[in-house]
Amino acid sequence: MNLLNRRSMLKAAGTTAAASNMAAVELLSQPAMAAELARNGKNVILLWLAGGASQLETWDPKPGQPTGGPFAKIQTSIPGVEISELLPKMSTRLDETAIIRSLNTKIADHGQGYFLMDRGRRAEPDIEFPHLGAILAHELGQIDSKVPDYVSMYTSTEGRRQGSAGFLGARYNPMFLTDKMIPEDIQLPESISDADHRDRAALRKTLSHRFATSTKHAGVGSHENAYERVRGLMASDYLFDVDREPTAMRDVYGPTQFGQQCLVARRLVEAGVPFVKVARAWWDSHGQNFETHRELCADLDHCMSTLLDDLKQRGLLETTLVITLGEFGRTPKINGSLGRDHFANAWSCTLSGCGIRGGTVFGKTDPDGQTVTEGEMNAGDLFATIFSALGISPDKEYMVGSRPIPIADFGSEPCTEVLS
Amino acid sequence: MIPATLKKTNEWKSSDIVFCLKHVAETQRLWFAGSDFSVYQYDLSIEKPERQPFEGEGHTSYVTGMVRQDNTLITCGYDGQLCWWNIDERRLTRKIAAHERWARAITKSPDGSKLYSVADDMLCKVWDASTGELLESLQEHALQTPNHYPSMLYAVAASPDGKWLATGDRIGHTAIWNTDSFEKIAELETPIMYTWDPRARRHSIGGIRSLAFSPDSNELAIGGIGKIGNIDHLGGPARLEVFDWRSGTQRLEIEDNKKKGLIEQIVWSPGKEWILTAGGDNNGFLTFYNAETGDLLHQDGQNGHIHEISVGPNFDELFVAAHERLTKWTMKTEQQNPDINETPKEDSKASKKAAQN
Amino acid sequence: MRIPVILTVTLSILLGVPIRAKATDAETLADRIDHHIDARLQTEGVAPAPIVADESFLRRVTLDLAGRIPTPAERTNFLAQQQNEADSPTRRRQLVEQLINSPDYAYHARNQLDILLLLRSEHNTSWREYLLEATSENRGWDQMFREIFQPEDTLTSDVRPISYLKKQLNDLDALTNGASVKWLGVNIACAKCHDHPLVDDWTQDHYYGMTSFFKRTFRTKKGFLSERFEGLPKYTDVYGDEQQPGLMFLTGEKVDIPALDMEEEALKKLQEAIKKSEKDDKSDPPPRPEFRPRSKFVELALGDNEYRFFAKNLVNRIWARLLGRGLVHPLDQMHSQNPASHPELLEELAEAVVESGYDVRHLTQAIVLSKVYARGASDSAAPPIAPDLFAVSLPRPLAPRQLSLSLRIAGQNPEKMQGRVNEDSWVAEREKLEKASEGNAKKLLIPTEGFQVAVTEALWFSNNLSLQKDLLSTSNDRLVGYLKTLEADDEVVSAAFASVLNRTPDAAETSAIKKYLAERQERRDDALKQVVWALLATPEFRFNH
Repeated sequence: MNLLNRRSMLKAAGTTAAASNMAAVELLSQPAMAAELARNGKNVILLWLAGGASQLETWDPKPGQPTGGPFAKIQTSIPGVEISELLPKMSTRLDETAIIRSLNTKIADHGQGYFLMDRGRRAEPDIEFPHLGAILAHELGQIDSKVPDYVSMYTSTEGRRQGSAGFLGARYNPMFLTDKMIPEDIQLPESISDADHRDRAALRKTLSHRFATSTKHAGVGSHENAYERVRGLMASDYLFDVDREPTAMRDVYGPTQFGQQCLVARRLVEAGVPFVKVARAWWDSHGQNFETHRELCADLDHCMSTLLDDLKQRGLLETTLVITLGEFGRTPKINGSLGRDHFANAWSCTLSGCGIRGGTVFGKTDPDGQTVTEGEMNAGDLFATIFSALGISPDKEYMVGSRPIPIADFGSEPCTEVLS
Repeated sequence: MIPATLKKTNEWKSSDIVFCLKHVAETQRLWFAGSDFSVYQYDLSIEKPERQPFEGEGHTSYVTGMVRQDNTLITCGYDGQLCWWNIDERRLTRKIAAHERWARAITKSPDGSKLYSVADDMLCKVWDASTGELLESLQEHALQTPNHYPSMLYAVAASPDGKWLATGDRIGHTAIWNTDSFEKIAELETPIMYTWDPRARRHSIGGIRSLAFSPDSNELAIGGIGKIGNIDHLGGPARLEVFDWRSGTQRLEIEDNKKKGLIEQIVWSPGKEWILTAGGDNNGFLTFYNAETGDLLHQDGQNGHIHEISVGPNFDELFVAAHERLTKWTMKTEQQNPDINETPKEDSKASKKAAQN
Repeated sequence: MRIPVILTVTLSILLGVPIRAKATDAETLADRIDHHIDARLQTEGVAPAPIVADESFLRRVTLDLAGRIPTPAERTNFLAQQQNEADSPTRRRQLVEQLINSPDYAYHARNQLDILLLLRSEHNTSWREYLLEATSENRGWDQMFREIFQPEDTLTSDVRPISYLKKQLNDLDALTNGASVKWLGVNIACAKCHDHPLVDDWTQDHYYGMTSFFKRTFRTKKGFLSERFEGLPKYTDVYGDEQQPGLMFLTGEKVDIPALDMEEEALKKLQEAIKKSEKDDKSDPPPRPEFRPRSKFVELALGDNEYRFFAKNLVNRIWARLLGRGLVHPLDQMHSQNPASHPELLEELAEAVVESGYDVRHLTQAIVLSKVYARGASDSAAPPIAPDLFAVSLPRPLAPRQLSLSLRIAGQNPEKMQGRVNEDSWVAEREKLEKASEGNAKKLLIPTEGFQVAVTEALWFSNNLSLQKDLLSTSNDRLVGYLKTLEADDEVVSAAFASVLNRTPDAAETSAIKKYLAERQERRDDALKQVVWALLATPEFRFNH
């Protein structure tokens, strides 16, 4: 089943139909887009470690230091590189992964840290920057796609924030799943049969024709485009149904909710959804940091390694970028409740798969983990790196009125050492 | 022994977290260990004692528990090891890879012949205290929590009469064992001490952190924290439950919200008048309850979450191992209230001996 | 062509039409608008689109003034006037007069302010009540400005407008830039970290000069606003030097801060009293300094006769709301390097607005009476025309409440939902409609520049069961219920079009629907629902045009 994926189907069908839709909706507002019509079939899964995972209990351990905590470090498949003993499965699977240890993003507040790391730049009043998922949905998605462009899963209630497409327009807003693991309103309502639903949509289109063709207005075009996608999106509801996977596969991902959501993410990506965010909340261990990380790291270790294995086996890892990231890291200093607090001066993230030089570690922190000593990167640099890994130029600009906005923040540089 | 006269008299600041300690009043020696992996001695006869480190490559992670038997200290740690230390020479004499995972606590049989250690491999292991030989491995506690995450085995206690052993874990399950046959003979549940948040934060917190049999060995006190709303913090009531462990009947159920946090240690008074609980959240508390009624008798606090206390034989002083410090507290031993302190002389001797160990 | 005032007045007397001085002014202003727009069209050699028919004008202006689509009864009423003597311009004038004086106008203006000022994020009813009161009595925009920015000082000491400042007090940058963007049409956020890279007018001094007006503002525990005795923001410029511009308005005008004439001890006491009031809700109200920067901000904004940001911003925003694009575009980029498309028009309108006492209703009326406003859409076959010429009308997405109210009205039985025609009962009905539309309005996004419909909206509209049930109910107070009672399919089609799209259907549309109905005779109720849905789901309904 996985061989006949969306990409190969579209190759067969040709992209001219897509091109004309593009023209109708996009060109008036973004003339430069015309050249970018060929979508490159890449996908992103963002494992969002909401609340701020501790870099000292994951990717940049410092046992033996006063700030090191009680956990040891273990050898990995990369010679000379060690990570926390809490991630044993990942330690043998770093061949496609790059660890970045030198993030210094300065903002240690949940709300602002989230905005910073989800947009790659600081907020400015009176301009709505799009979030990473929206940018990538825009860059990697197909205009007439029958699958969603951007799916975001966030079940816990703590720290739950929905990404936004900002000035890119609501077309790129996420399908945001919270309590239900299937998007809202994607199933046929009981008040109408499928045949009538289809015919009703066709009637709507007929009745819209006169007005829709009387104008080239991009907003009106987007209205038609949105309705045209409804049937296709309804048909993709099966992607969210993990019961369609063999029991063995569901068992491998494990019984935790995070595992099941990673499985959904794989299914979505396999069907061509360009951007999927799976949030694992809530890492904010102000008290009992070590106990909490025992649980959460076990979940991360298992689910991330299963996901990478699964993507690799299906030949998807080359074209899928898997990111682990949070709002910030945690303080080297351990407080009285044996907790760690917010810390954004020296923390870690990982990039795996598409466009990444695996088996690398970039950046260094001092022995105590208080500061970055080599390879300091900020949010903009991380975004520039992500875009580059996906074959998107970080210098590319969107025009907002007459103001050019580069997709990665001014002055940011991609980290070439982690790019293949 | 009047808790109401409790007073903090000394504080020795530390750059690390002190998890365990023992002291001997007569010789004025105190030993402690914690997050810098090392074992130290304080000579308390000096006003500003200096740390005297024990030599030898011992632990490679946090030292979480300490036991003294005559001239030997035995410690356990996050490295899963048990280390033996000669007190006079202040050096390591033996090191065993005792557990596969983080060892949380160690205690000894009243006669000092056996050691009992618990760790996150969910095993309680029984050791010959002098040879270090493994005598038994008690397996009963579940490796995973009901929510499919790795569990922890935090607490172990031996009954004063030497016949029973209790082990308590993350999810609020206590097993009681016969120390001859090493069969499990009873179990108790204190599920409120385990908070799993399925909705806001999707992980757990808490667990049984302390166990102590009553002086007559008939009851078991279990300490932890009550239900927590925001599991990012130890923002829950200190929780104590006392059971007649044979019948499984809960006799006392106490929660204190004035000084919140985990109860890390429980000490019964020899005459079973009061129960002292020590622990904390971001700070530390010492709380005394009436052992009969469960009423709060007296309470005091200090900076620094308390991890362990060492009580002097006359119950007139206690030393505290805490976050970034050691402290000393005194209590008056004058019999000011004859009702409370009617203890026959033999019992005092027994309790002195018990306290010395 | 400009008709001399005297002739207009004479004609009015002869025709027996009552004269209202303001009405004449609005028409004059409308003529001036056309004068400037047409002048530029002529210079550029561009022919504007013709004026739309009455039917289209009715829908457009009802949406713009009343915040909803017209009811079939209102439409019938308006079109029936073609039978009497009055010509189209007169009919439209009267229509505008009615709408602008209707209770609908106040509700719609309130909803628009709700969006502009706090992005609908303030849920407390007292803020919205305050806004409704203000729009109902057509309170001057300068008066509202004072009430919102200086709640401590206005005569009424009404606490309700405090919501605006309160919501932003913990973010000085958002407060400053918000004030600048929404009330003065100037976005200076770029000038925070360095002199504005693109706009010469705005330097870091301007940015910090503006924040200086707000820095001293604080909120007491009881919920009142006041200002401190000291405190000014500093910044480090790109050369590493520390600067403190003091109170400087956008115009460059500085305000001298009088020296605090008191002992250090006395100042300390005052500061402590202030601190107390911030923490303790039982403490006395804090001491107030004589010199209050925020009041100076209001003074400068209203007293600026040279640049006139305040007046121009009002004109520009109302213009953009009605025409789809500002005279200055984007709306927050009023500076010398971004001139207005019609600079003299902007000046004239700004002056008129000041003269009128910042009368928003008057300005609105003038614009909707102009020919520019009434123009039709472009010919889609023709080459595109630069939008800043205002030669053709632009489709404008409905705002959340406009849409949810219109959905509700469209779905009512036209015989029962008559609208303004029933003057006495309409206020109460409108209030009820507002409440009933609240839920759906929350699900819709506020349209911004470059608006797009999200696929989640299309899914919600297509598949949400409770929405379907609500809008398409067959009960006899609803449209589908009404359509059920009609015998002929032709009647059904024309009634549905009248209710939903406010027009008559053409032949192709009629036959498409009749075919649809014919194929579903055995489930006619369902078919009727589906037809109504299909009409509600068209972009023609979704947009103002």
